[in-house]
Amino acid sequence: MNILTSLCKTRQLKRTLVEHRDALYRIAYSWCHNPALADDLVQETMAKALKNSSQLRDQKTIKSWLYRILTNCWHDHFRRNRETVDVDDIVLVDSDTPEIHHDRQQIVRQVRTAIACLPMGQRQVVTLVDLEGCSYIEVAQILDIPIGTVMSRLSRARGALKEKLLAADPTADDRVRRLRTVK
Amino acid sequence: MSSNRISEERLHAFVDDQLAERERDEVFMALKQDEALSRRACELRQLSELVRHAYENPPRAGENPDHARHGSPLRRAVAAGLLLVAGGSLGWVVHTPEPTQDNTLHAMYWDEDRAFQNTDLSRVTAQQGTKKIIVHLNTSSPEKFEKALGTAEKLLRTYADSDQGAEIEVVANASAIKMLRAGYSPYAQRVRELQQRYINLTFLACKDAIDHIRELEGPDSEVRLLPDVDVTPSALEHILERLSEGWVYINV
Repeated sequence: MNILTSLCKTRQLKRTLVEHRDALYRIAYSWCHNPALADDLVQETMAKALKNSSQLRDQKTIKSWLYRILTNCWHDHFRRNRETVDVDDIVLVDSDTPEIHHDRQQIVRQVRTAIACLPMGQRQVVTLVDLEGCSYIEVAQILDIPIGTVMSRLSRARGALKEKLLAADPTADDRVRRLRTVK
Repeated sequence: MSSNRISEERLHAFVDDQLAERERDEVFMALKQDEALSRRACELRQLSELVRHAYENPPRAGENPDHARHGSPLRRAVAAGLLLVAGGSLGWVVHTPEPTQDNTLHAMYWDEDRAFQNTDLSRVTAQQGTKKIIVHLNTSSPEKFEKALGTAEKLLRTYADSDQGAEIEVVANASAIKMLRAGYSPYAQRVRELQQRYINLTFLACKDAIDHIRELEGPDSEVRLLPDVDVTPSALEHILERLSEGWVYINV
């Protein structure tokens, strides 16, 4: 490969990375609920992607490839900080985020808190499927787990979310409608 | 097929469009026979929408999360809440799809109690007596945009053939804005052709999503939309408004 071709490919990859940056950040944030850490993880992911661009053989799989790198960066982060804990079992609660005190974003806050309460393995699956529309096969490849595990984690995750977010509240319907009426 | 043979995992796969056509048909049949099952499917769809809503605009490093979102967070929260509460209140009424139709697209409408009822495309007009349909996109997937355009065109052609007045709106928010952005959308020409061919087809972009792009790209960024694309202050609120007016809603 001549130098010109190589430069063109690098420029193309950089453009593609910029296009995926928002999606990567959204997933990283949904995993850690820490903007600074999410930013670091995305930067690290993009740096690794550029460095290892030769490993990407098919441009069509770049989304899965990038999420796979992000997953590795996320695991590396925990290896550096919590050597003995299995990242799949970690439950993080964003109790220290200022959002928790923001009444106006009640629903957003409730959903993020519910997601943050999920074990990491379940959180990764549900965010990849719901936020980025990844297929089950893609999620299995990204997280390097069997597809059956993807399905069971998704089922358990949504079961937990349903319990927290869709619990029967006979007054909720009226309350929300009233808010809309007086808006 | 008995609905008790539909496992939880399979129901999730159905909602996530991960089943083959035959399996999908089986789940559709089960949903038709079992109100509790259809209610569960509806709840799963609502959960997915809530998760997407919660991370539509995550806060950035160094940013005060209280100001992380433009527009009115309360209005958005109420809108999402309405989608959630109304959708979960009566379950998911599903009718047997026609053999030739695309089962992956679910049409929904509000009944007189503002509860979501689910139907399929072939029955949209018969069910509701309306020819007003709002097609919602919230991802930048070209396949989904293609599907949305194809669906809109198919419906418009059907109505044109039968000399029925119809109105269709394609509303894009979140990352789907890219599909209506000049210089970024690979469908500029196709959108233009459809606009010229069908006067009763409107494309709308969510202003919240446009503002978010501007915020990300800096003050000098220029977000130009394709010609004749309208802007709505909030896609979610616009959808709720249309539902209250009797429109049928399709999420692609």
